[in-house]
Amino acid sequence: MTGYYVHIPFCEKKCSYCDFYSIESLDLVEAFVNTLIDEIRLRTSSTKPDTIFFGGGTPSLLSPRQLERIIGEIPNFDNAYEVTLECNPGTVSLDKLIAYRSLGVNRLSFGVQSFVESELRFLTRIHTADEASQAMNLARSAGFTNVNVDLMFALPNQTVDTLQYSIDRALALEPDHISAYSLIYEPGTPLYKQLMKGEVSKQNEEVDAGMYAYIIDRLQRAGYCQYEVSNFAKADKQCKHNLVYWHGNDYLAVGPSAHGLVNRTRYWNHRSLATWTQKIRDGQLPQANEEALGRDERLTELLFLTLRADGIPANKISRDFNLDIREILQPDLSYWISEGMIVDSNGVLRLTSNGYAVCDEITVKMLSKLPTPL
Amino acid sequence: MSPYNDRQVTKQILNNKTDHLTSYFCNSIMTNYRNFCIIAHIDHGKSTLADRLLERTGRVSAREMIYNQILDDNPLEQERGITIKLHAIQMDYTGVDGKSYKLNLIDTPGHVDFSYEVSRSLHACEGALLVVDATQGVEAQTISNLFMALDQGLEVIPVINKIDLPSAATTIDNVKQQVVDLIGCKEDEIILASAKAGIGIDEILEAVVKRIPPPSGNPDAPLRALIYDSVFDPYRGVIVNVRVFDGTMREKDKIRFMNLGQTYELDEVGVLFMQRQRTGVLEAGNVGYFTAAIRRLQDTKVGDTVTLANKPCEKPIEGFREVKPMVFSGIYPAESDDFENLREALGKLTLNDAAISYEPETSSALGFGFRCGFLGLLHMEIVQERLEREFNQTIVTTVPNVRYRVVSNKNEEVWVDNPSQLPNPTLINEIQEPFIRAQIITPTEFIGTIIKLCMDRRGTMLGQSYLSADRVDLTFELPLAEVVFDFYDKLKSNTRGYASLDYEYADYKAGDLVRMDILLNGEPVDALSSIVHRQKAHDWGKKLCSKLKELIPRQMFEVAIQAAIGAKIIARESIAAMRKNVIAKCYGGDISRKRKLLEKQKEGKKRMKQVGKVEIPQEAFLAVLSLDK
Repeated sequence: MTGYYVHIPFCEKKCSYCDFYSIESLDLVEAFVNTLIDEIRLRTSSTKPDTIFFGGGTPSLLSPRQLERIIGEIPNFDNAYEVTLECNPGTVSLDKLIAYRSLGVNRLSFGVQSFVESELRFLTRIHTADEASQAMNLARSAGFTNVNVDLMFALPNQTVDTLQYSIDRALALEPDHISAYSLIYEPGTPLYKQLMKGEVSKQNEEVDAGMYAYIIDRLQRAGYCQYEVSNFAKADKQCKHNLVYWHGNDYLAVGPSAHGLVNRTRYWNHRSLATWTQKIRDGQLPQANEEALGRDERLTELLFLTLRADGIPANKISRDFNLDIREILQPDLSYWISEGMIVDSNGVLRLTSNGYAVCDEITVKMLSKLPTPL
Repeated sequence: MSPYNDRQVTKQILNNKTDHLTSYFCNSIMTNYRNFCIIAHIDHGKSTLADRLLERTGRVSAREMIYNQILDDNPLEQERGITIKLHAIQMDYTGVDGKSYKLNLIDTPGHVDFSYEVSRSLHACEGALLVVDATQGVEAQTISNLFMALDQGLEVIPVINKIDLPSAATTIDNVKQQVVDLIGCKEDEIILASAKAGIGIDEILEAVVKRIPPPSGNPDAPLRALIYDSVFDPYRGVIVNVRVFDGTMREKDKIRFMNLGQTYELDEVGVLFMQRQRTGVLEAGNVGYFTAAIRRLQDTKVGDTVTLANKPCEKPIEGFREVKPMVFSGIYPAESDDFENLREALGKLTLNDAAISYEPETSSALGFGFRCGFLGLLHMEIVQERLEREFNQTIVTTVPNVRYRVVSNKNEEVWVDNPSQLPNPTLINEIQEPFIRAQIITPTEFIGTIIKLCMDRRGTMLGQSYLSADRVDLTFELPLAEVVFDFYDKLKSNTRGYASLDYEYADYKAGDLVRMDILLNGEPVDALSSIVHRQKAHDWGKKLCSKLKELIPRQMFEVAIQAAIGAKIIARESIAAMRKNVIAKCYGGDISRKRKLLEKQKEGKKRMKQVGKVEIPQEAFLAVLSLDK
């Protein structure tokens, strides 16, 4: 399994909580597409991507023609069986979605976040709740059978009632996949500054945990299976591209600020459209840096990423790293299992719905038990 | 009555002068030697004055003076502004009378923890410069060291330093009066100086040769020399600094340490300039060093008497005692794998610090470590810092405690230096704890505050006497255990830094003491046990529990913190279980950052100590020290 990530760094309006690289100068999109095509050519590789993901930013700002030009350059595009495009509900039309689908996009991900207007305004979203529902309907009309809805919780002033309302409305749309994120206050974002100034206050851990437990329970009962900390899917509708990240598989990445993993080396592109463009014009890879992963780093990553997602593959670790991970994690593993936080089945150590809430605590404890040097 | 108004003191000095006068005629060779030290409170300018004297006598050039405070050559000493190791330097000086003199300046440590060393180095001298800050006046430490000097019959030359400070103009008369009252000198005997500005340095040097008597002693008598310091040198073994009172020390001589009993052959003998200068011989009256292939610092004891093995002197120099650790603390490696490294580091550290003691111990909370004994709190801090800086050890230290004398029902005596080792209370007849006599000098406005502080610490006031209309000298008897914590900081902050403290160890006394244990989810944490006074236990337990609640992070389960005396719970707190700890997003661009974050957290987790299932951060083991903060 390999993936291909394309970063589209443009937004009509930046959201206050978002720390992905994106700018609001939409007049630069066309020039960006030209440069992006150059980067795709620079990074030609023999690998055939199984999944492709257009993230952002707001990839749905791309015109069908622009998307077509990009897709035309991605090597072995037709090989990919999952092609996702992130959409802002405020930027789609039926025609556009039909055009995207005809180009090969088969999965849409809508940044809905909430169905409560005041919460959408707080998050500085450009769309209303109804527009979000509308966008979902358009997607279905355009023939999409794999659609995700992003939601957020633990927002300031959010209550269990408003959360419940948003989930009711999301479920009514019968999406194939739901991502539900607890709000992160990322340093450098306007939201973070508000927090620092005391203009907003974080929900306490108790409320955050309560909402999280509610979401897990509610979605589970609605037939969504949790396969990562924040991700829930109907049968067979897990995001395969994200599983590429979480299973430690290779993925190529293009566009400013994009991160890739190729041949045990992580690289990341310049986080500035200007620098990224300049490098490519000079015929160089637009990388800010790269890091070759040693055995320790690979094991650490595999452990924490798979634990967050659909479970640590104990047999694979024993095969690839010659380590009996179960033995190393004792006696804590037995404790976690007895406390109902982890289940050990089919050779995989997997978090339970209770366990996901304290995933990082368990991860750190696990890592601290690894022998050093490995 | 204040002891320094005692006329006896003056009489003692006079008697002593006569002694020296007699010896002057007996031993004209020694007449050009002067052995002296400097007594001063921290920051009153001792090191600067020493530097200045060295510069004036040509021992160091003005260029070398750029690295001020030459005697404090250990970086820790320079940082803290206190002398820890002793130094001595011989200076050449030509007096106004045209004669050449050899002046041995013997430095003294500047902290109460090292008062025994101070007493021995004073014993090696005939005179002392008493340096008092023109703006600060007499402080507790000045007085205690001065009394020690007077007790040993030293000629004291009062020097008021820092007279060039603008504020000195208003304070100097008062300070002069304090000095006159203190040592019973005439006002015109006080030398006004500024070591920094070079004022009064010549007068001081002249006074040293005029007022301080030359050493007495008989170079032909059996050797009698006092060890006042020793240092370890990896190539030559122990280098012993001595003052020769009688006889002569020559290379190849067979010597014997009278108190410890071992004999050695002298390898090298010399005097101390800026570096050691081999002379081969050291005669009565002089100060110098020797080496004798002594492997361990512990084999030389400060205060011991060196004599010739086959022609010993009659009796050793008085005043020798074995210095015993007073304060104890557990030192553990932060990571249990480092136990052997820590053992090695402690072993190396004792090469040049003979005062520390250490024995392996095991703690259920901290694993394998050492119970270490120190002369006092400063000494403890120095050892901890040296372990971290010089030996790169990451250590966890437990709350310091004193050594208790426990008398059992069967009237047997047990020494307990680790609270968790206290025998079962039903077997104990009584627990005795060490007391100190503390001398506190303070502006009068703080008397009330200080009395309250000392009373809170179970102190008894023994006396007060006024040094001047606005300065008072208070004497208290206090349990050492109550001073070990933050007494000094409290004293300083409650008096805006004006009060000064000095103390000496007094007796052991029985007290109503109990062991208080801390339990986490029902399991006792041995490293957090303490011995406390019964009446204070309740309050103490409550504070400690709430401090631990702050310091112990949330766990995946609720944690009960309890303080207990025996089976009786006297205080409790609980830490609610962690409800949520997971970052919501981790996609392709987040992985490197997230991994680095987790690796950092992993290191923190590894440093946690575990009792039962509860993880305890290392700071928690010192929680008691910051209870009131």
